[in-house]
Order: sequence, then C-alpha cells, then structure tokens
Amino acid sequence: MAVWEFFQNNILTKPAFFIGFIVFAGYALLGKHWYECLAGFIKGTVGYMILNVASGGLVGNFRPVLAGLKDRFELSAAVIDPYFGQAAAQASVENIGRSFSMMMMVLLIAFTMNILLVLFRKYTKIRTLFITGHVMVQQSSTALWLVLFCFPGLQDPQVVIMLGILLGTYWAVASNLTVEPVAKLTEGGGFATGHQQMVGIFLVSKLAKKIGDPKKSLETLHLPGFLSIFNENMVATGVLMTIFFGTIITILGPDLMHQIDKGFGAKQNFGFYILEKSLNFAVYLTILQLGVRTFVSELTNSFQGISEKLLPGSVPAVDCAATYGFGHPNAVTFGFLFGAFGQFIAIMGLIVFNSPILIISGFVPLFFDNATFAVFANRLGGIRAAAIIPFFSGMIQVLGGGFAAYHFTTGNFGGWHGNFDWDTLWPIVGVIMENLQYVGVAAVVIILLAIPQIIYQRNKDTYFVIAEDFDKYKEIMAKKQGVPVEQVVID
Amino acid sequence: MAKLKVIAACGSGMGSSQIIKMKLEKVFKKLGLEAEIYHTNVGDAKSQANNYDVVFCSESLIGTFTGTKATVIGLKNLLAEKEMEEKIKANIIDKA
Repeated sequence: MAVWEFFQNNILTKPAFFIGFIVFAGYALLGKHWYECLAGFIKGTVGYMILNVASGGLVGNFRPVLAGLKDRFELSAAVIDPYFGQAAAQASVENIGRSFSMMMMVLLIAFTMNILLVLFRKYTKIRTLFITGHVMVQQSSTALWLVLFCFPGLQDPQVVIMLGILLGTYWAVASNLTVEPVAKLTEGGGFATGHQQMVGIFLVSKLAKKIGDPKKSLETLHLPGFLSIFNENMVATGVLMTIFFGTIITILGPDLMHQIDKGFGAKQNFGFYILEKSLNFAVYLTILQLGVRTFVSELTNSFQGISEKLLPGSVPAVDCAATYGFGHPNAVTFGFLFGAFGQFIAIMGLIVFNSPILIISGFVPLFFDNATFAVFANRLGGIRAAAIIPFFSGMIQVLGGGFAAYHFTTGNFGGWHGNFDWDTLWPIVGVIMENLQYVGVAAVVIILLAIPQIIYQRNKDTYFVIAEDFDKYKEIMAKKQGVPVEQVVID
Repeated sequence: MAKLKVIAACGSGMGSSQIIKMKLEKVFKKLGLEAEIYHTNVGDAKSQANNYDVVFCSESLIGTFTGTKATVIGLKNLLAEKEMEEKIKANIIDKA
C-alpha cells in the first residue's frame, strides 16, 4: 500500500514524470537501448515541464486584462485557440483540485479505443487511426475539463475510462468521415484528416457544390504579397494579439492598468507597455509549442509505428495541413481572410448585443480550420464556396466558442479550444452530458458509432475500395456513370 | 556521400513536418543515404536553413525559402514515399 501511495503521490499525479515514464516504458517495450530509453524519459519530462512554464505564463499574462474587463465592464474574455484552450482547461482542472495527469491516461485509453475500432472494422466500419499527437493532447485536455465540469463527483479511474471511450470514438468516427473528401481531393493520397475540424470537412464536402461552381475557381485570383507573413505562426500571433489586446487595453486605459498590473512600470510608455503585453503572448505560445513538440514527437513516432505494424490497410489520420498541397495556395490564404471577416463581424455582434463574454481570435482556428475548408470548398464549389463557407465558419467559431467558454467557465482562465468541431459538436456533447449524465454519454457514443454504419449501407461497393485502391474506385464509378475512366466525374 | 543535414518544415512545426520527417527517414534508409532530420516550423527553418543541406516542406510554402543556400524540395503529398524518392533522386543524388 505504501508503495502504491508513493507511486501515486510522486508519479501518477505529476504529469511531467508520468509522461516521462510512459515514453520510457514504450521505448523499453520496443527493445531500444537503455540510453535511448533514458533520453526519451528526459525529453518527455522536460517537454512537459516546458509546456507547464508556458501555460502558466499564458494564463498569467492574461490575468490583468481579464481583471480589467471584469472591473470596468463586468465582462469575461477568452482567446479561441487550442493552445489557450489547453492552458485554460489545465488551469480549470487544477483549480478544483484534480490532477491534470488524467489527460495523459485519457489520451492513451482513447487511442487504444480507436485501435480496437479499426481492428474490428469488419463490424465497426472504421477505417482510420488518429495519430496527430499534439492535437490528441489538446483535445484530451479540453474534454477532460468538460467531463469534470459535468460529473464533478466522479472518481479519477471512472473519469478516465468513460472519457477515453467517448473521445476515442470521436477520433475514429470523425476522422473516418474525412476518408471520402480527402481521397477525392488528393486522388487517393492514402491518408485522412485527424485534426480539429473533421466534422466541418464532411459538412463542407456536402455543401460546397450547392453553393458555387467549381469552374469559377480562385486560381486566377492575384492576392497581395504582404499576406505571406501570416505563414509564420509567431508573426501571425504577434499581429493578431497586438490588434486585439491593443484595442482592449487602450479602452481600459493606463490608469486602470497601473492599478491592476504590477508589471506596468511607472515610467513605461503606455504604447510600449501594450506592445510588450501583446507580444508576450507570442512568446508563451512559442514556448508552449516547443514543449508540446518535444514530448509529442516521442508519442507520434510510436503511434505511427503501431499503425503500420498492427493495422495494415488502415488509413492514418493526420494534420489538416497535409491537404494544402492539393489545393491552390490561394485557397489557403483566401480561407484565412474570409474566416477572419466572419470572426470579426461575429465579435462585433457579441459586443453590440452585450454578450457577457468577449471573444478574441486565435491564430490556429482562424487559419487552419478555414484554410482547410477553403481548399475543399474551392474544388467543389469554386471561388464562391471558398469565400462563403470560411466566412460562416468564422462566425460559428466565435459564437460556438463564446458559448462554450462562458457556459463551461474556461473563460475564467481566458481560453477555449476554438477549432470548428469544438465550437459545434463538443459544446453540444457537453450540454448533453450535463443534462442527461451517463445516459447522455451512452447516447453520444451510440449515435457516433451509427454514423459509419449509415455511410457504409449507402456505399457498400465502394466503402473500403476508396481508401485502399483509388484507381479501382474510379473504375467502379465510371461503370456506374456509363463513361470511360478518363471522363469519370468524382464530386 | 557525407551524412545529409535535413530540415522538414511546416506552418506550426507540429503535425505535417513530423509526418514528412517520419516518411523521409524510411525513404533515405531505402535509398542507402545517411541523413539527420530535424523538424520545425517555417520561421525557425528559414533562419536555420543555411546550416542545412536540404529543406523539405509542402509545395505551398516553397516561397518562404527564396534565397537560402540549401536545396529546397516542395512536396505535394506529404505522405507519398514514391514522390519523395523521385524528388530525392532528381535533386540530391543526380546532382551530387
């Protein structure tokens, strides 16, 4: 018993060491040398410690601004971005005295659940394994807080198992939804999307052709060159944060900021204080990403190995940026721009209608969700669809994210996950769990599992072919359409 | 050929670049080339590119690397080992 207690107090409830030991054990099982196992342990542990420094910094840098908004306008505020969301989820979990280590266990159980669903694909019809490590960490964090919010009395083991099953089902089912759209876009590229807007991609693939004409594509468009600076995360975050926090802090005024922020020196110029405060977010975000990259690369490597060894014929579900090479570069910029229009208009709407929460655009949802949607939309519905869809997606991100940050209280720590699926599907799942409790969780899992069955029933002859052999898929479709393979229309 | 120093880059330096890296490791091994691969975001990659031999990234990001001394290879499909093999042969092996 004493051994267990020691283990629990020093490792199980200390996420940094817990992750280090998982990497160590994984490498040992793979038969690596002892020094490689040790290196893995150190990278896992240090990576998490780096992440911790950055999460604390992010929330701390935000605190005076949050206090000012509360003081002056009775408002709370949240940046809709998965990194801010992860930091806010961690702060929320720790604030009620629970251990954030559960995040890592949730991730492992959910991944195992996904593997099982693929292994039994004859029955489950799941073709995809979600292997995007950093996204898995972010989603496990936010979902962990959702479950603790809805089931405050539930013990750790039950939380971890229940959420692992729920999240693993989502990873499998939602990434499986992207098999057809991605295969058609990439002409059988051999992957699916495992990211934060998978339900969104499925919806775009159904809606885009109704909205526009693929012949009027945006490839002829000439976009201004300065937009290329947004290719760099650090620059984009710096610009976005300076715009938003610059406006907010200017409205709050130097007198109030002097009162609530000790970091604002008596002799410091207000303009440079704002710039420093805003760019600090880019600093902490860069550190956070370094931390995540350090421990996640260890994870992703082994996930990739598992998917190749254990599950031949399954489709790896990877980062959404893997699709960008198959769309025109204009589509990526176009989606970002129109997403930004949509978000800004929705944020104005929140202010005009006296919303109790203010939303601040984060770079990741703004860019990666909307750029992805534009790539898919342009192929099926041309320039019109590539403008309209990201525009509405931007509005939905703000409104859904605003609801979630307010209702699930992560706004108290200044963030919400903010990517499309987490502004639509997951807030709904959260409300269902909150009201129907265990029945709600069971219902969500059953409904999710029914989705691949429905799609399979509708396309029995091509369902597995499209993922395994795209040329054969084209032949089948050509036969159906009564045309030679060269003229087959795939939409 | 000496050990190649390679960067795999993508927007955030998290997802895609690591996929490129994992696929590249297999392809280099198959071609019998020794390579040390580092994955990161485009900003970091740009500032370090001159210390490396080759940069791999998505075709859409090639413009970022104009003026670097390293050989820059743009990929259409980040997961296609065949495409990587062809481009490594054309840009590295044949020019060596």
